Amino acid sequence: MTTRTETTPVIPLPATAATTLTGLGALAVAASAAMSWTWTSDFPGDLTYYGSPVGLQWLAVAAGVLTLALLLATLGTPGLRWAAPTRSNNAVLYAATGALAVAAYSVTSISTELGGLANLEPGGWVLAGGGLLGVLGALGLPLDRRTHVPLRILDKRLFLLLPAAPVGWIAAHAIPGDKPVAPVMTALSGALAIAAGAVLLLQLGHLANSQLRLGKVDRPLPAPRELPSWVEVLLIVAAFGVGSYAITFGIDTDYGELFIGYLLLIAFMIAALAGSGLLGRLRALTLKYRPVTTGAAFAAAASFPFQTGEQYASVATNILIFATVALGLNIVVGLAGLLDLGYVAFLGVGAYAAALVSGSPASPIHVQLPFWAAVIVGAAVSMVFGVVIGAPTLRLRGDYLAIVTLGFGEIFRITMQNLNGTTGPNVTNGSNGIPRIPELNILGFDFSQTHALGGIQIGRFGNYYLLMLLVTALVVLVFARVGNSRIGRAWIAIREDETAAEAMGINGFRLKLLAFALGACLAGVAGTVQAHVTYTVTPDQYTFADALPPNSAFLLAAVILGGMGTISGPLAGATLLFLIPKKLEFLSDYQLLVFGAALIVLMRVRPEGLIPNRRRQLEFHEADEPAPPAADDDTTALTKAGA
Amino acid sequence: MHDLPQQLANGLILGALYGLVAIGYTMVYGIVQLINFAHGEIVMVGGFGALTAYLALPGGTTLWLALPLMLIAGILVSTLTAVAAERFAYRPLRNAPRLAPLITAIGLSIFLQQLVFSFYPDAKKARVFPKIPGDPFSLGSVTVQRSDLFLIIAAPLCMLALGWFVTRTRSGRAMQATSQDPDTAKLMGIDTDRIIVMAFAIGAAFAAVAAVAYGLRSGQVDFRMGFILGLKAFTAAVLGGIGNIYGAMLGGLALGLAEALATGYIQHLPGMHLFGGGAWKDVWAFVLLILVLLVRPQGLLGERVADRA
Amino acid sequence: MTTTTAPLLDVTGVTMRFGGLTAVNDVSLTVGEGEIIGLIGPNGAGKTTFFNCLTGLYVPTEGAVRYRGTVLPPKPHLVTQAGIARTFQNIRLFANMTVLENVLVGRHTRTREGIFSAILRLPRYHHAEAESREKAMELLAFTGLAHKADHLARNLPYGEQRKLEIARALASDPGLLLLDEPTAGMNPQETRAAEELVFAIRDQGVSVLVIEHDMRFIFNLCDRTAVLVQGQKIVEGDRATVQNDERVISAYLGAPLESTTPAAPEDTQ
Repeated sequence: MTTRTETTPVIPLPATAATTLTGLGALAVAASAAMSWTWTSDFPGDLTYYGSPVGLQWLAVAAGVLTLALLLATLGTPGLRWAAPTRSNNAVLYAATGALAVAAYSVTSISTELGGLANLEPGGWVLAGGGLLGVLGALGLPLDRRTHVPLRILDKRLFLLLPAAPVGWIAAHAIPGDKPVAPVMTALSGALAIAAGAVLLLQLGHLANSQLRLGKVDRPLPAPRELPSWVEVLLIVAAFGVGSYAITFGIDTDYGELFIGYLLLIAFMIAALAGSGLLGRLRALTLKYRPVTTGAAFAAAASFPFQTGEQYASVATNILIFATVALGLNIVVGLAGLLDLGYVAFLGVGAYAAALVSGSPASPIHVQLPFWAAVIVGAAVSMVFGVVIGAPTLRLRGDYLAIVTLGFGEIFRITMQNLNGTTGPNVTNGSNGIPRIPELNILGFDFSQTHALGGIQIGRFGNYYLLMLLVTALVVLVFARVGNSRIGRAWIAIREDETAAEAMGINGFRLKLLAFALGACLAGVAGTVQAHVTYTVTPDQYTFADALPPNSAFLLAAVILGGMGTISGPLAGATLLFLIPKKLEFLSDYQLLVFGAALIVLMRVRPEGLIPNRRRQLEFHEADEPAPPAADDDTTALTKAGA
Repeated sequence: MHDLPQQLANGLILGALYGLVAIGYTMVYGIVQLINFAHGEIVMVGGFGALTAYLALPGGTTLWLALPLMLIAGILVSTLTAVAAERFAYRPLRNAPRLAPLITAIGLSIFLQQLVFSFYPDAKKARVFPKIPGDPFSLGSVTVQRSDLFLIIAAPLCMLALGWFVTRTRSGRAMQATSQDPDTAKLMGIDTDRIIVMAFAIGAAFAAVAAVAYGLRSGQVDFRMGFILGLKAFTAAVLGGIGNIYGAMLGGLALGLAEALATGYIQHLPGMHLFGGGAWKDVWAFVLLILVLLVRPQGLLGERVADRA
Repeated sequence: MTTTTAPLLDVTGVTMRFGGLTAVNDVSLTVGEGEIIGLIGPNGAGKTTFFNCLTGLYVPTEGAVRYRGTVLPPKPHLVTQAGIARTFQNIRLFANMTVLENVLVGRHTRTREGIFSAILRLPRYHHAEAESREKAMELLAFTGLAHKADHLARNLPYGEQRKLEIARALASDPGLLLLDEPTAGMNPQETRAAEELVFAIRDQGVSVLVIEHDMRFIFNLCDRTAVLVQGQKIVEGDRATVQNDERVISAYLGAPLESTTPAAPEDTQ
């Protein structure tokens, strides 16, 4: 299905007026950072100073400057043209909307937290006004749009919720408060109100979509300028430097407001840079210099503990553990198409195996294996469990694997709890877990000590972070190399069509078992490091769903959110899924609720994940595409027999 | 082994509970080939629906009057939830790749749990469910809790009703036809959408009965009760042959018996003295599942389980 | 072309029953080296079931299938490894892999590189991979798809998808190629091209067994044709034998006297 497109403004404004308005808005947003936003230092970050931007104000600077830069770039300003190869004004609109989002969020949270708009200083007003002006101006620029987007109306019956919500509210208040059922009714009416709000918002979204009709116009891209290859390599390194700085900034945010503002900014800026074509250019460059890209990525990741303190190194280590395990799961789910719902148990098996042979005083096995041996033990034991679980189930339909692994995850936890000396033999010390796992000491390098590396003090978590990064590198290497080999092709073939794959001589069962065992093995390796990082392994670290990652549901979500079958997807997904609960503590009560709802919605609207694999995306949207002409048995038989 | 009759009775009662829940898995699977992970949570919301009805009744209402009302409320809540889930979460994915509905089911399962956890008053920990008052019955060496009477009566009634529905009514026969061959059933003029909704609804109604039985047995309901119950019921469905409704009940009874016997006797086996008792019953149920998949993956009453080539 | 050596494929008395239903009843068939054999029959005659018996999807209730003198193993991947490759009636490509990758998957049984080799990437790995690619590109050139090597299989037009299925099957270096309705849904020009392709495959020393509805295609192509009706082989022979057989005519037309229908096999000249 081809959609027709046009390039027209949403708001009819003279071209110069629109450009001026956008530019002024962006400038105002950036400039507001130099002013005071509020009068009291009660708001986190203390936004009261003139001339010295902090926290949210830096986000405003970034948003304003980026909007301005993209505006100038699309106008064709010499020296900036590289930033917008597509010359699409949509990029400017996205950036301006990002600026407005940061502004609106800052102003709203200041006025709600401090109680009223009166708490805004002039800087706050400039910020809000600038944000609005910028978006209004950008809507007046000629934008890439589809010529026609039909207005989608939700199922009419859903609108019954709108009158039902107030009725429910009245009913809940009519019940005397001392009745035991009263709180139930209050909760029900609350749920009704939320549902009604969601319906309203969704319908408004559809309305906006049909009015804005934003789309993508294919226009010939100017050929990238010929650069010497060392410049291109430098560009890659610079891009990774910027990316690494952005991620470090996110991990370092120390209050929820800043983190939300940061997320808003990042989301819109990624959209803007994708729209401007800059990300596409960068991607082409990284594909051209694959080894350099990989090296730059790891150098950027390894530089993290040198940029930040011990507190954030601990967060980063845990992110890395989570991300590595998610990438291991992606071999199983993304490449071979097997749904493993108990994957965290394999991490647990590795961690317990390492803890048992670590020489911890609580371990009944009083041996202390060197770390390399512990890694091998952890990987091997995990793999054995993978084979034991996989062998009976992988011969059957995929759904069986899903539920058997779900069961295995739960049974693993229960078993670890039971092996406590009372209800079973004492192996794991029950729910207290195995504490006091000794610090690692590899070749005389004591991980518990602070070491000076290149003049910078790297503490305990920094050390473990660097060790974990090696494991991550191992998993990335395995994923990339095996994924693009005879074995990886066979996995993808099985995922696509198992019957056809078998007809090509692929032993489906054996290869699925290989994928499953390899996934288990890699999780086991990550587990051996995790045991040392956390000092203690307990059964409750390895659950199906829990507020804290890593757990099986979050691992799967990281893979799905990021994109199945890719390397960067699960890494990005895991980072987000780890940081969101960590930074937004006020969400903690509803976090899993939102998580569950998000999974349902995601499967409905974007089943291929946020960073889709080119292939995977096609596969998931199969139903949208016209089917190839079917070889209809009956009709061809009749028409051809006598042809 | 003098307590064998007691263990057998315990196993059968527990098994009937599993069987009732397993029906829901098996009916949905039989028709749309989807393992509805959220079915355990359908049980759970049914339990809370019944609890709400109990709380709404004036204090001191006799349980004989309250129980039918609780049952109706539970069935209502379960069925509505299941039908809504089918309509809004599963149906749009009917032609999607096979991972998508499974992931939706997990999302739904977490969502329902957390909905009750966050918004049902005092549901952060288990809530007290009424029990049928009175002393346990004794039949020779077997004692049966009064609360279990509900299950002992309800489970066979449900099975009889289901058997009658499937074999004697138009809709029931249409359902069987759809599970045999959905495409042909459609060509024969059967509204398969309606049949699928019906399968979800019947499964949910049985789930609500199971939830009330569970509440009466254990004297409490909690937001997490569906997880293990769902896993066990799925095991029962596989054991009996997934897709076969009688198999589900049979599998449930077999699983219940196996669990009771493992709990009671496994510690008497040589070398196994530390692996008996209630703490290990879930583990043994899981081991049984693995063994069944290894030895007879089609289950007791099932046909060959294989992808249609 | 006549067979003088022992047959490549030797099917003796294969019977396949499902419960009470006999789908294939005592069918024997041989395919010699370098032969193109056709298998026709009305819908539901058991052609596909017979095919499935040859490809390891089903184990025949009675009878045996021998390839180069050894009984075929009952697993599809082992059959392919033994040297029999197949295509599918309803195209089953790996739609989201590229054309080249599809053919590389076909090389699976003829390459040995395992997981450690893939991780370590020793010279031997690069060598094997390069060899596979070379072979795959040769096959793509042979089927006329070389210029589309980097396209996704799903984006190919219908006729090229059929060709790709054949290239993918040939990648396993088969001695016998089973084609399941290779011209279904094709127009006459494409059918003509398919004929040329099958001849070219035979000239490379691969025997072909083809199921078809299109009689003209079959008779142009095949050295011998067997007719399957209601699970039984009613006749086998050259074009004239089959075309003049009363049972074939009645099987296709219901009754011999109603041959006024334009779809009569006689009209295929």
